[in-house]
Amino acid sequence: MRKKIALLLTFVFIVSGLTACGGGGSDESKDASAKTEDGSTSSGGTVTLAIWESIQEPGLREICDDFTAETGIKVDIQVTPWEQYWTMLEAGATGGALPDVFWMHTKEAERYMSSDLLLNLDEQIEASDKIDLSNYYQDIVNMYNHEESQYAVPKDIDTIALWYNKTYFDEAGLDYPDDTWTWADLKEAAEKLTTDDHYGFVTRIANNQENWYNLVYALGGNIISDDLTTSGYDNPNTIEAIQYFADFAIDGTSPDQTATSENTAAALFESGTAAMSLQGSWMLGSLIDNEYIQENAAVAIIPMTDDGTRVSIYNGLGYAAAANTEYPAEAWALIEYLGSEEAQLKQAELGVTLSAFKGTSDKWADSVEGFDLSPYLAVMDDTLEFYPHSKNTTVWEDMANEKLVKVWTGEFTAEEVCKEIAEEMNASLAEE
Amino acid sequence: MAKPKVMKGTNQKKSEFIWGWFFILPTMLGLFVLNIIPIFQTLYQSFFKTGDFGKGNIFVGLDNYTKMFQDSDVWQALLNTGKYAIIEVPFSIAIGLIAAVLLNRKMRGRTVFRTIFFLPMVAAPAGVAMVWRWLYNTEFGLINQLLGKIGIEPVKWISNPNIAFASIAVVGIWSVIGYNMILFLAGLQEIPRDYYEAAEIDGASSVKQFFNITIPLLSPTLFFVCVTRIIAALQVFDLIFMMMDKTNEALPKTQTLSYLFYKYSFIQNNKGYGSAIVMLLLVVIMIITVIQMRVEKHVNY
Repeated sequence: MRKKIALLLTFVFIVSGLTACGGGGSDESKDASAKTEDGSTSSGGTVTLAIWESIQEPGLREICDDFTAETGIKVDIQVTPWEQYWTMLEAGATGGALPDVFWMHTKEAERYMSSDLLLNLDEQIEASDKIDLSNYYQDIVNMYNHEESQYAVPKDIDTIALWYNKTYFDEAGLDYPDDTWTWADLKEAAEKLTTDDHYGFVTRIANNQENWYNLVYALGGNIISDDLTTSGYDNPNTIEAIQYFADFAIDGTSPDQTATSENTAAALFESGTAAMSLQGSWMLGSLIDNEYIQENAAVAIIPMTDDGTRVSIYNGLGYAAAANTEYPAEAWALIEYLGSEEAQLKQAELGVTLSAFKGTSDKWADSVEGFDLSPYLAVMDDTLEFYPHSKNTTVWEDMANEKLVKVWTGEFTAEEVCKEIAEEMNASLAEE
Repeated sequence: MAKPKVMKGTNQKKSEFIWGWFFILPTMLGLFVLNIIPIFQTLYQSFFKTGDFGKGNIFVGLDNYTKMFQDSDVWQALLNTGKYAIIEVPFSIAIGLIAAVLLNRKMRGRTVFRTIFFLPMVAAPAGVAMVWRWLYNTEFGLINQLLGKIGIEPVKWISNPNIAFASIAVVGIWSVIGYNMILFLAGLQEIPRDYYEAAEIDGASSVKQFFNITIPLLSPTLFFVCVTRIIAALQVFDLIFMMMDKTNEALPKTQTLSYLFYKYSFIQNNKGYGSAIVMLLLVVIMIITVIQMRVEKHVNY
């Protein structure tokens, strides 16, 4: 009798266990969805949209609600933090279960496109009257184009600007940065702004896009050749730019390598530890949330070189769909809507990001009361340099950042280390 | 509800046999699918230059292994793994043992103390890492703030290449003391009280009793804890990954083989090389465990 009860209980547990595992997703290989709460993908009119920036979610939620009102298709936004986003996506891709629509980034786009994981959007774009690729910044469009086919619709664009602490400038009796500032002016000001209480500037290796990439290109150097096959790290201009940024940490006008590896640049700026910081437009949401920033900070255009060359690195995300999505029509409808002028305007208005659709970003500059964000737009009239990338960007980018640690601590000069970086980067580019 | 007292030997044996297998089937299945098969898959992958998303794997034979043997990062990581284990294991066992002995007596609040010691085990490792990361932060961390109040300069707990591995080991020890303590408590409760009573009558101090009765009779448990703790310590990854940024100066002197495995397999998508590294770790752990089992025969009471 007891055995029978035990047997019955065991069966009950096994069965309920299997249903719990199996019922979590419409098929077994949904390990990608395991990272997100409900683990379900589309079911009769719901499309999943995977993103990594939780700050942008509220704005996107509004835009998606408009989409739902118009078409009746529901959108399930799933946020996975940047550090885990690509691991999640890769697990889904290898297992055959990607989200329906998801953000694609310059660093990874090539890999996904060449592995046939993204839905080919050529036909849909042809047929659509809302999406015309000439409306977007060409570098971004080209990024998501592979072998003459388009695989993602541009979502946004980001540029770099200089954030500064007005209070510290006032205390030091300095004029605020303006569009006449050169990189030499920045250095001078940083020295004057470094006191016992705070530093003048934050230089951080991992913030390559915001920091030294800009100066590298402004001085005429490069990170990678235009055909994406050779490293630019052994270019003397590149080396000069890197040394410029490392010197802040070495001579004490910026928190040292330890502080910047343990803390983010935004944290150091927000806590008043540093008086100036170069920040990308995508950081607006998280910076502006902070009361100290609201009261004490302002934005200026990125400095130029002595001969007037002003460069900002720019990048743009894209909306892509999974090649094997169960709902290609709905996925395209969402992508079309999100890329349309209407949604791009709203995206800028809500302060989500600068939009990739040319001419829609002006509202973004006014999206925060009392804050003038026009420097991010003004720099678009100067030189924009697209984010340096290749098929396996992460491999050499991480390698370079790790090697540069010794430059930031002053143990080696940029010249010595950059030659090594160039060698290794060329080796890994050759393997691509 | 009368159960027949005598069953035919073979029937009973058969029935027990079937029931036995039936009950361990779920665990066996999980073990097989999630542990055994991946081991062979990893070994298989280590002979390939893996392509993106599981497609386009190219057979390269022993290339990954030759590359690995020439990679100074790997050997430094092996050393780091050893350094970490040497600090974590002895201390966590010693402290766990002392805690167990002290909490084995009849005392007030015994259950409360046992719970407190065990709580770190219940906290998610990622959460633990995040909190300790902020405690250790050089500029803003609580520990340096407190040291500052008594006039000591800030210490670079996780950025100084010489002490970072010890700082991480401290967190490892802290999280595992509770687990060791519980195992030791179980072992302690097996020791008959008579031995202690006899020793007291003979006039032995508690310390003498500890070394001459407790430790020898606890040696099976001690051995088990030692072996399992070493195996776990050699695989440490999550603490280092969560507490140290990729640009941390101390990382080369702290990263372990598991960390390198994750870096190559999941961040750089080079699963072939990562698999080779993990095979090295497997061999190292196996050798150490075999040595321990040989030693056990001589040491076990």
